Amino acid sequence: MSTLSTRHKVELIAASAIGLFFIVIFPLLNAHGMVSNFTINLWGKYLCYALLAISVDLLWGYTGLLSLGQALFFSFGGYMMGMYLMRMIGDLGQYHKPIPDFLVFLGWTELPKFWKPFASFPFAASMIFLLPGLLALVFGFLAFRSRIKGVYFSILTQALTYGASLMFFRNDMLMGGNNGFTDFKFILGHDLREASTQRGLFIVTAIVLLLVYASLRLLSHTKFGLVQRAIRDGENRVLFSGYATAHFKLFIFVVAALIASIGGALYVPQVGIINPSEMTPDKSLEAVVWCAVGGRGTLVGPIIGAISINSLKSWASRAAPDYWLVILGGLFVVVVLLLPGGIVSIPARLKSLWQRVTRQPSA
Amino acid sequence: MLKVNQLMTAGALALGALVSSVHAEDTVKVGVLHSLSGTMAISETSLRDVLLFTFDEINAKGGVLGKKIEPVVVDGASNWPLFAEKAKQLLEQDKVSVTFGCWTSVSRKSVLPVYEKNNGLLFYPVQYEGQEESQNVFYTAEAVNQQATPAIDYLLKQGYTKFYLIGTDYVYPQTTNLVLLEYLLSKGVALENIGGGFKKDDSGKIISAGKYTPFGHTDYQQIVAEIKQFAAGGKTAVVSTLNGDTNVPFFKEYAAAGLTAETAPVVSFSISEDEFRGLPAKQLVGQLGCWTYFQSIKSPANKEFVKNFKAWLKTTNVPGIVKEGRVTCSPMVLSYDGVYLWKAAVEKAGSFDVDKVRAALKSGLSFDGPGGKVTSQPNMHMTKNVFIGETTAKGQFKILEEFKDVYGEPWLLGKFKSK
Amino acid sequence: MRSLTRFIFITLFGLLAFGCAFATESPRAIITAAILAKDQAHKLELIGSLVGESDEAIKPLLMAWKEDGLFVCKASDDAPPLPVILTGDKDANDAQAALRVDNGQPLLDAVGKPVRLVAGDLTSVEHDAELRHAMKNVLDLLDLATPDIIKRIQAIQAVGFSQDVEKIPALEKRLSLEKNSAARKSLLEALAVTRLKASDAEKLSAFNELKDLHSLSSYDLIRTAMREEEKAGKPELAEAGLHALKAIDLHKTKINVFGTLFRGLSLGSILLIVAIGLAITFGLMGVINMAHGEMIAVGAYTTYLVENIFGTGITIPFFGFSLPIPGIHATGWFYQTYFLVALPLSFLAAALVGIALERSIIRFLYRRPLESLLATWGVSLLLQQALKLMFGSNNVQVSSPIYLSGNWTIDDITFGWNRIFVIGFAGLIVFGVWLILTKTPLGLLIRSVMQNRNMASCMGVRTERVNMLTFGLGSGLAGLAGAFISQIGNVGPSLGQNYIVDCFMTVVVGGVGNLAGTIYSALGIGLVDQSLQQILLNPVLGKILVLVAIILFLQWKPSGLFVTRSRNLDD
Repeated sequence: MSTLSTRHKVELIAASAIGLFFIVIFPLLNAHGMVSNFTINLWGKYLCYALLAISVDLLWGYTGLLSLGQALFFSFGGYMMGMYLMRMIGDLGQYHKPIPDFLVFLGWTELPKFWKPFASFPFAASMIFLLPGLLALVFGFLAFRSRIKGVYFSILTQALTYGASLMFFRNDMLMGGNNGFTDFKFILGHDLREASTQRGLFIVTAIVLLLVYASLRLLSHTKFGLVQRAIRDGENRVLFSGYATAHFKLFIFVVAALIASIGGALYVPQVGIINPSEMTPDKSLEAVVWCAVGGRGTLVGPIIGAISINSLKSWASRAAPDYWLVILGGLFVVVVLLLPGGIVSIPARLKSLWQRVTRQPSA
Repeated sequence: MLKVNQLMTAGALALGALVSSVHAEDTVKVGVLHSLSGTMAISETSLRDVLLFTFDEINAKGGVLGKKIEPVVVDGASNWPLFAEKAKQLLEQDKVSVTFGCWTSVSRKSVLPVYEKNNGLLFYPVQYEGQEESQNVFYTAEAVNQQATPAIDYLLKQGYTKFYLIGTDYVYPQTTNLVLLEYLLSKGVALENIGGGFKKDDSGKIISAGKYTPFGHTDYQQIVAEIKQFAAGGKTAVVSTLNGDTNVPFFKEYAAAGLTAETAPVVSFSISEDEFRGLPAKQLVGQLGCWTYFQSIKSPANKEFVKNFKAWLKTTNVPGIVKEGRVTCSPMVLSYDGVYLWKAAVEKAGSFDVDKVRAALKSGLSFDGPGGKVTSQPNMHMTKNVFIGETTAKGQFKILEEFKDVYGEPWLLGKFKSK
Repeated sequence: MRSLTRFIFITLFGLLAFGCAFATESPRAIITAAILAKDQAHKLELIGSLVGESDEAIKPLLMAWKEDGLFVCKASDDAPPLPVILTGDKDANDAQAALRVDNGQPLLDAVGKPVRLVAGDLTSVEHDAELRHAMKNVLDLLDLATPDIIKRIQAIQAVGFSQDVEKIPALEKRLSLEKNSAARKSLLEALAVTRLKASDAEKLSAFNELKDLHSLSSYDLIRTAMREEEKAGKPELAEAGLHALKAIDLHKTKINVFGTLFRGLSLGSILLIVAIGLAITFGLMGVINMAHGEMIAVGAYTTYLVENIFGTGITIPFFGFSLPIPGIHATGWFYQTYFLVALPLSFLAAALVGIALERSIIRFLYRRPLESLLATWGVSLLLQQALKLMFGSNNVQVSSPIYLSGNWTIDDITFGWNRIFVIGFAGLIVFGVWLILTKTPLGLLIRSVMQNRNMASCMGVRTERVNMLTFGLGSGLAGLAGAFISQIGNVGPSLGQNYIVDCFMTVVVGGVGNLAGTIYSALGIGLVDQSLQQILLNPVLGKILVLVAIILFLQWKPSGLFVTRSRNLDD
């Protein structure tokens, strides 16, 4: 780590500067009314999406595993947080009953057993890690053991998230069905509708994102990171060199699931709703678009992609609602065919273009 | 090239919106929050259309309190978190005086905290499950006792003794069936004559009834076979809260199994005239519907409304609007009624202030709408007429029965005691 | 079809009426005689003789009699009295047209001019409780003889469900006349169910009879009767009832088992026809086409277009322009053939879209399957939006032709024609694909390119062209599937989204690159799904379990049912 190249130094400085801006300056501006609550809330949402995009990139860009199930882990994190938030509503819901509203409309009068421990934040917080982690561990173990890879891995993860969304859409699952969880009131005793709470959540999200970014940055420079990329580029060669690639992949898969899950857990209190449409295969594919547009195989790329595409979406759904899908679909085709490196590759491309232009006269 | 044209129009419109927001002095901003893309666009786009029509109609007559209505149309894109984001935008950035919007219960529930926090006012126009009474929402929608229980009354009167409950798996059918279970038991219908299955809680007590399929479900073979066995003894009606497009495979399967409106009629609560545009109407002939408005109502007010709406469609230049084969339906009319009730309330209050408008609404204002007289109630709901109709091959309803001035009652659970 | 049957009906009716007019004992003559008869017993006997008759004239005449609408008048003072019925609108003098009861013709005066009479001037034909009761018996059973078989069975069931012991003679009389076997079965059921209200001995035989008939429609009534017997303390009767119920339950189980098998087969066939195109593009070519679902939608919309062209025509808004397509206003059988025309056109339309997609995007991505997945997903969004712009975001209606909207019912098991058609059609498609791949020059080229692209290229095969045609074939098959989907489900811009995951699952389970595997896996998934639905009585849980089973299955056999052997490590 001692031999940081200039490029890395620049990146380090830029990352710290941007991190500082989001963690300190942006919230300060908000506290003084220079940035609206709406904007800070919106950016909080974007940063959560950025976490999801990073988790996709860790698998796809760095390890060559295109997982279409990341939205599932994102939602799982969200649901665990949501269960805690639902319990915090107490009897302030529409029905003024001590159990969540959707249980009332299903005819329940008492809390089902598995809902009970979620009143404790530490329990819910540990579940945010445990449940998605466990699912990723089991699924990854099965998948990597039987050497499922490439598009088969994509299709299987798609089936997994599709199956899970079908399950969560069922009201009998007692997880809110199609409506999911909404109408949250408090988190750790703070009123979620207060601007200060939202500001706090934004700061936490920005810190988490910075930490995730930094640790993955470090990881990619270790031997582990090298093996990871080697698996992407030629798994069999790595295997024949004596590395148990399945274990590496499993570890990365679990880490990626945890990152997505934390993103989801932070997303829910800021957006105020979680429901199964967040875990449909389409959402996973959308996260892949962010990653592809920003630039996969880099860590900045997914963040840029998530923020830029979601700002575009916020704008387009207002200015040209009929064309949002066209824009999204078109972007996808264009990026895959013409700009495989995404937005982050534009400077390099311009540079090489410039070099070609300037070299020509001399040739 | 044509695409470029479209984009230019879109650009011009955006510019137009910018320009018009400069002259905000003599206008009042009104939000329209519906899904114009995604799965719900099928239903909700019609509501946007009728709202824009209503605003034009009011503006042509001088506006509200002398101010022209300036609609701010945003797209919820059938994405519930986005609904909340858009609601925030409408209230915090555009500072609209009132919003007309939402179709699904989940979208309403997702924006509800936003309206309560900002003390906004939302008019909600689509049949819903009740069990809600927010001070920031005015429910022009049909409550369960303005649709489901009158339909059951009608069926009982026609001599039906067995009822099969089927619905899409979301809050409206679930709650409606919960109420209907209590209602049927209170009318002396035995449990074994209620089909679709029961749900039990941990202790084994029956808590709810009905068969539920997910959105977009395509395979109704098994369920229809089950209904056929259930209905073999005659005198059976199917009470359907199936949503939108799942009705197509359901009714195609229903007809293919030889079940008809004579052998076992289906009364659907989610199929209005607008939905018939995407349904094989021929296979639904004779099946029943229950709403607070039908296009076939023969009153002069309705004829006028339908005529004006169709004329407006011809002249409007809203991009992407469908102009052919349009119909009117209950959610559209309830949106229309809602705008006029709001106008009446604003005029009575003499102000656009939400608290004053709410107080005016609660005092009981009336409007003679296309479906007859509607009156606002102190519980933020609306008294209106209820109609039972029979589907015709043209995708309209022939009215069979009318219930006058039914009071909207959101809190029905636990009200009906079994005998 | 319908007009033909109507024609036959009318002709038959004409003959019937003709025959009746000359028969000595025509119902009209009987009613006339009954009106004119002096003796109450004779009147009752005459009316009673109408029981079980099916003449259309009976109902209006008896109804009119009961409601004081029949009158007796004389054409002239010395003429015999004639019963008449007054019909039509009243004119200024309150007079109405008078029709003779005995032949239904207008009453004529001496010069042959129709007579108009005023109801108030005449005395209506008398009736009393006894007569009305006799008439009610006739009227109740009139429907039992309705010529329309479906209505007849409904009427029989209605009488049976009313469990009125007094109707037993009428039902028996009808049974002796009835020829149709379904109607006979209904009559037997109705009789047995009605006997459940008669004497104990008859009850016992009725229970046994219902047991042998394993009558589904009587289940509820048997249960009620059984409980009554239990309460009345007649254990032997209650037990007979229980046996009947058990027999019916067994019958239900049989229906469910066979029904489930059939439904599984039909669902499997649907999976097969939607997935077989993918089995070619994905299985043989290795291209992940996420826009496969939209190819299905293209086929479905083509069917919709063809249907409209056969009908009244359609106007398609096309990027701001309206493109009117005139219709040919076909009717009757010709209109019904639209579906057969739509089939090849759906194939062609989807194949063309597929070829365009292959030429413009996919051919750059043959060596990058993950990228092809992403790019085609983008294309699928674009296609969905294009369909929305052309046809609106609403679902469109496609009406099924008559030959696809009925059913066969064999021993209470329903076989829908559309389902049978789908099963047969899936067989045809598989056979066709097999023919193309193994018996045609194109098939040979396809297989050679798929086995070893470079080698084939060296041998002079134009691999680019073969790729294009193969992709076109796969897409075209998806289009065909769309034509079918339009007959059983929705046609909307997002139609394809409902099927895409199922398609991929089917192909992966079957084993990529193996068409036989796709067939087995489609039918297997269909059967398992329907069986789980039947067992769990829940439409979603079954599907979720199937997905879980598939994921587990792939642990066991990672390359699917049928493995394409290869020495390549990365395959």
